[in-house]
Amino acid sequence: MAAVQKEKPTRVEEQRAEFAQYKADVKKRGKPFYPYAMFHDTIMSLVVVVVIIALAAIWKWSSYGPHHDPTQSGLLGPSMGAPADPGTTSFVPRPDWYFYFLFYLLRIFKWPESVFLGTIGVPTICLVLLILLPFLDRRRERRPSARPVAMVAGVLTILSMGVLTYKGATANEALASEVKADVPHWIAVENLPPEAHPGAELFATSGCTACHTYAGAGGSNLGAPDLTDIGSRNLGIQFQINHLKCPSCVNPGSPMPKFASLGEERLHQLAVFLEASKGTH
Amino acid sequence: MTTYKRKPTKAEVRRERLEEVVLYPLDWLEERSGLIGGIRYFLFRNVPSDINWMQTLGSAALTAFLVQAITGVILAMYYTPSAATDPHTGQPVAWESIDNITNHLTMGWLVRGMHKWGASVFIILMFLHMGRVFLFGAYKYPRELNWIVGVLILVMGLMEGFTGYLLPWDQTAYWASVVGINLNGTAPFLGPWLAQFLRSGQEISGETLTRFYSLHMLLIPGAIIGLITLHLYLVIRLGVTSPPWSKEAAGIEPSENGSGPLRPGLTRPVPRGAAAQADGGSK
Repeated sequence: MAAVQKEKPTRVEEQRAEFAQYKADVKKRGKPFYPYAMFHDTIMSLVVVVVIIALAAIWKWSSYGPHHDPTQSGLLGPSMGAPADPGTTSFVPRPDWYFYFLFYLLRIFKWPESVFLGTIGVPTICLVLLILLPFLDRRRERRPSARPVAMVAGVLTILSMGVLTYKGATANEALASEVKADVPHWIAVENLPPEAHPGAELFATSGCTACHTYAGAGGSNLGAPDLTDIGSRNLGIQFQINHLKCPSCVNPGSPMPKFASLGEERLHQLAVFLEASKGTH
Repeated sequence: MTTYKRKPTKAEVRRERLEEVVLYPLDWLEERSGLIGGIRYFLFRNVPSDINWMQTLGSAALTAFLVQAITGVILAMYYTPSAATDPHTGQPVAWESIDNITNHLTMGWLVRGMHKWGASVFIILMFLHMGRVFLFGAYKYPRELNWIVGVLILVMGLMEGFTGYLLPWDQTAYWASVVGINLNGTAPFLGPWLAQFLRSGQEISGETLTRFYSLHMLLIPGAIIGLITLHLYLVIRLGVTSPPWSKEAAGIEPSENGSGPLRPGLTRPVPRGAAAQADGGSK
């Protein structure tokens, strides 16, 4: 029978032929998984287990304080934190390190206009792109040198995640004890009346600055707005109290925790302070 | 059974009987399940002869997951997922059980430390493994589905990190979870529902802790085990890719006499149409 010269093969035909060739090549010239590949895998697995044990040992024995204080911090952090207390609000809401890139992403987008992009928008888009990668990059070429677009995209992804993780790790932590020293400065630059002074003290010690910025102090984490001139919006004492009690009831979608546990009196003091904050002049 | 030209010696007879005793249960199992054949296929299937050290990252991630599974089972024997206050000490019960594991239980610090740090190692290895697959272009036809399964395992692994972080019930864990759940709540449509589901109510409470514990040690690990099984099945079915710069198996090969043009292989794609011309005459 005369050979029929086919039209150009379709992409699917080429892919199938190539894969059949690969299967045949591996069958003919490959080597068995055991012992060759399995030898490498076993060594690598042993290294992994040893590294995990070493990390556990360094974590425990470098934090083993003189008084066996479980919250003493070693080379890899404390072995225990203080027990959870919903009534104590002076906290730093910090996730585990592999979420730092998401954590820091929230600093880039500001509440309320674009914080949604940082919480859900950008991560969702990235995840969808990651899942769809094999359908976006459909060329058969596998050599990195011949895939410049993919390589540049890959390096940019690694760089941006690395930078975001580093920034998240070194993000300014506003500890209540340090922020408290700033209160006289706030009173001076904001020209706060005496009735707002207890609220300023509370603001510094209740953990507000873990997320919010005030007159240059504080974390500006998680998309929390700068409160330096919040009073100039004249939202009213009652609004401030309601907002502190249940932020998401007043601002739907607000990720701010509820501060109702502070009690009416202190919430009122805080509200007076916030309303008196007309900005630095 | 060996056939001897002469009468077998006593030692040979004994050896033969021993072999029968050893092989009998294996044959029994093989006849009823085909498992021995499956294991033999898994162990002795061919892989490209030039696979790279980077290609051990997948099995390294699997090892890290197994460490998490084993240490997790041990931790579950001693951990109490309760936010109630212990009347004797005034501390939350969950925090106390972690304190007990870390500071009083024999080798408890090792088991908890391995679980805590193994989580980071698992996540890092999954990312490195993904980077290797990306570099090798190993997500391309016919392995697209396995890439998707791998991404799902990574997402599940991060969810393990999120749910496990709350369990020690300390200040960092508590407040990071309060904000983390609130952030989930900002998603459109499903967000408020998701936040309510995670919290198990309007406020984070003891029920949130038991819910996170259940997700962390039953639902998500179950899903990960299922996905890893599928992932490995696809790896074995489709085969291991050789490095894209490979000159060996499944790569480019010198022609028969060793001097002619290179035979196009998997890593150096044939120009469109060339493959059909090359074998067009034989059909």
